[in-house]
Amino acid sequence: MSMKFSAKNFNERTKDNISDDFMRKAVASAQERLHGRRLDAAEELGSWEEWRSHGEEIRQHVLENLDYYLYQLSENVAQRGGHVFFAKTAEDASAYVRDVIVKKEGKKVVKSKSMVTEEINLNTVLEEAGCEVIETDLGEYILQVDDHDPPSHIVAPALHKNREQIRTVFAEKLDYKNTSEPEELALHAREKLRQEFLTADIGITGCNFAIAETGSITLVTNEGNARLVSALPKTQITVMGMERIVPSFEEFEVLVSLLTRSAVGQKLTSYVTALTGPRDDGDADGPEDFHLVIVDNGRSEILGTEFQSVLQCIRCAACVNVCPVYRHIGGHSYGSIYSGPIGAVLSPLLGGYDDFKELPFASTLCGACTDACPVKIPLHELLHQHRRVIVEEEGRSPISEKLAMKAFGIGASSNPLYSMGAKVASTAMKPLTKNNRISKGPGPLKEWTDLREFPAVGNTRFRDWFYDQKEGK
Amino acid sequence: MKVSLFITCLVDMFYADVGKDMVEVLERQGCELSFPKGQVCCGQPAYNSGYVESSKSAMKNMIKTFEHAEYVVTPSGSCATMFKLYPEVFKDDLQWSDRAQKLADKTYEFTQFLVDVLEIENVGAKLTGKATYHPSCHMTRLLGAKEQPKKLLAQVEGLEMIPLPNGHNCCGFGGTFSVKMGDISEQMVDEKVNSAMETEADYLIGADCGCLMNIGGRAERTDKSIRVMHIAQVLNSYE
Amino acid sequence: MAGTIQNRERFLAEIATRLGREPKVRVEKPVWKHQPQRAVLKDASAEELLDVLRKQCQQIHTDVVETTLSNLPNALNETVKLYGGGPLSLWRDPRFEEFGLSNLIEMKWPSEEIEVNSWDATLGDENIERAEQANVGITFSDLTLAESGTVVLFSSADKGRSVSLLPTHYIAIIPKSTLVPRITQAADLIREKLDNGEQVPSCINFITGPSNSADIEMNLVIGVHGPVKATYIVVGDC
Repeated sequence: MSMKFSAKNFNERTKDNISDDFMRKAVASAQERLHGRRLDAAEELGSWEEWRSHGEEIRQHVLENLDYYLYQLSENVAQRGGHVFFAKTAEDASAYVRDVIVKKEGKKVVKSKSMVTEEINLNTVLEEAGCEVIETDLGEYILQVDDHDPPSHIVAPALHKNREQIRTVFAEKLDYKNTSEPEELALHAREKLRQEFLTADIGITGCNFAIAETGSITLVTNEGNARLVSALPKTQITVMGMERIVPSFEEFEVLVSLLTRSAVGQKLTSYVTALTGPRDDGDADGPEDFHLVIVDNGRSEILGTEFQSVLQCIRCAACVNVCPVYRHIGGHSYGSIYSGPIGAVLSPLLGGYDDFKELPFASTLCGACTDACPVKIPLHELLHQHRRVIVEEEGRSPISEKLAMKAFGIGASSNPLYSMGAKVASTAMKPLTKNNRISKGPGPLKEWTDLREFPAVGNTRFRDWFYDQKEGK
Repeated sequence: MKVSLFITCLVDMFYADVGKDMVEVLERQGCELSFPKGQVCCGQPAYNSGYVESSKSAMKNMIKTFEHAEYVVTPSGSCATMFKLYPEVFKDDLQWSDRAQKLADKTYEFTQFLVDVLEIENVGAKLTGKATYHPSCHMTRLLGAKEQPKKLLAQVEGLEMIPLPNGHNCCGFGGTFSVKMGDISEQMVDEKVNSAMETEADYLIGADCGCLMNIGGRAERTDKSIRVMHIAQVLNSYE
Repeated sequence: MAGTIQNRERFLAEIATRLGREPKVRVEKPVWKHQPQRAVLKDASAEELLDVLRKQCQQIHTDVVETTLSNLPNALNETVKLYGGGPLSLWRDPRFEEFGLSNLIEMKWPSEEIEVNSWDATLGDENIERAEQANVGITFSDLTLAESGTVVLFSSADKGRSVSLLPTHYIAIIPKSTLVPRITQAADLIREKLDNGEQVPSCINFITGPSNSADIEMNLVIGVHGPVKATYIVVGDC
């Protein structure tokens, strides 16, 4: 799967998803639960705003000095016997991973959850090279078994599916015979996947944070699959977005504290694992061979622009979990593996406006995302920046809108012109008004009155009343 | 205290009563009110749609219009927020940046002005019934006016406040979003109306006419019997 | 043997260009403006930390057994029996002897035909197979984080990663002296090691209860790929 996964346009996707009642209920209840847990976790910790400021400062410092920290990281990985590959493009990254596996004559690949490997279309590339690729995060596994259904949430990828759908898929594809109880479904996955872990020759992981000073990569999970992926196969390949790095363990512990609380309301997840290079001399488990692939794929073009702060993201999905738009349209409407507010900012930057120009407009700029972000990315401001770039720099808005906005610029800067316009509008709307409201509006009003009543223009405008009452006295 | 009213387009054209109620409440507190005639629109519709350049002329007009005001008070958290953003918009414009900052510094949303500047929470209003409050997004998150309306409403005699479920979620207005993304906006406003109905309140109270026009318009269209009121109307009620 | 690095120069030069400056060869970490992590449980006594740990373990579905040094063999034996006995997978760790568990491990369990496998790096992959077959994995905690209910395990040739991962059940023995407020102190300990010229082990695990997942309808399922149950045995040693 690459970043874009749908041929339909935004409106079509949205319509499809709005009519999916199960998905919408699932998203709404997940949002309420995760939102509540995050607030509880933040309150229990106390001084949350100070924590956020700390997280922000660390992330900003790293981005400002990214070349240095990546240099330090690569030196330290190599010093511990690991191999580092800097990949400019998605294709470079996937090709390198494929070549490592082909050279090892690897056949079976187990993967733990990684958004960046989705972004670089890794599974397809490996499957084309004849590998069997198995996703081991329960959510990702469910999607993979269901003919590669795309993820709809960056933390809970199978959020849109219900237990009955999962049971049906397991029964069809995995010869599953039990009930739709989550415990039984999960147990089945455990048994199936345990065998895969034990027989895989390659493990592929993402990376929550790399630690420059020690050359470590870290993995944050609850299921334990990332530990299995990194403990059993003889070769481990870790793929990371180039910005996912911290200076040392001191900063790592702060960011992981923010991540787990913001993502799921936990103080720490069940497993947080810091891995440094391949196994040490004398170790009897862990990979014998370790490769780290550091991916740019459009990220460097964001540096130094007004969008740089989006690279502070630690992929917790707190913004997704509070977004009132995501709540109703779900992840698939975004047409990108990155959904919700972070997806609406990031997808156009990494994937271009041709495919994703609607996303920044699919927001009321309500600011809930900005409030929720543990590293203080001003997400709604970045959405607004996109709008500005799209209409002013790229000129991609409809001509009628451009003209209307031009007229607005003139009319709204002069009271006489505005008053004249208001009078004309008022006269024009009179015949449409019944019972002090307008139910069927013309032109631009139609979109409004298709859904709602529009108020009638008052008999007296406030300003006229005020002159009469106050200044006329 | 001298107060210049920034009345907003919606109140000027559609909800003059809200403006009148605000005037009466402020006068009762001893404010001396004026209405600078040059005021038009704060520029938000164009600005939020991405037309930053096109919106600047409207903004400059407002900066000039309110140049000599002591306090600027408006019945809209969203429009107040727009004034607060002017310094950012003009940060590289030497001619305007200071003037924009001055306007931002003296601008208050109506409930903010009552609670924070006049330091009053009980305006002596009386309204019998159950009510729920929708905290508008720009007002609570961007302007930071969360508690002021609640404090004022808590003092209204006869009014029982009931929490609005998922009140923090946007109503789906979002300016041009409400017409550009009608399918999504419809879902959002329906959920908001239904949440309000669940509370069995008689009144849904808000502090921003954009949100109220959206919620009220949808409630009317779907025959929901909740009365939508601006907080100025509530605070000027004396049954 | 040192590993390889490919494509680095051009990649990093591009970043520097985008940031509008020359590549940096030296960066001093700033003194961070905020350090709220230092205030968490700052003045808590050992007893208070233990209380925090107890409460947190209820959140993470982990049983806590508190015992004395002399009663540790009984407590461990009982927990093992509660989980259904062997086979057992253990680290090769001098602390088992120091904490008076040699008799239990070397005499009592074998006499009851409970299979005990201590990690033996010279056996290579067989260690993994044994851990995979084990019913219970047992390790000591190298450092214990009260706030989150976390045991920190530093890997080594004698302390395989698989022992806390592959068996169906997991028991961590927590010497009370390993209790610290939170993960901040784990970072401090690592700093200390680095300052002493040590390097970090190839694997550091922060383990917080049994494995779990909420991927199906947000329903919490305890026990997914890692252990399905976990017990912490806290032993007074100070």
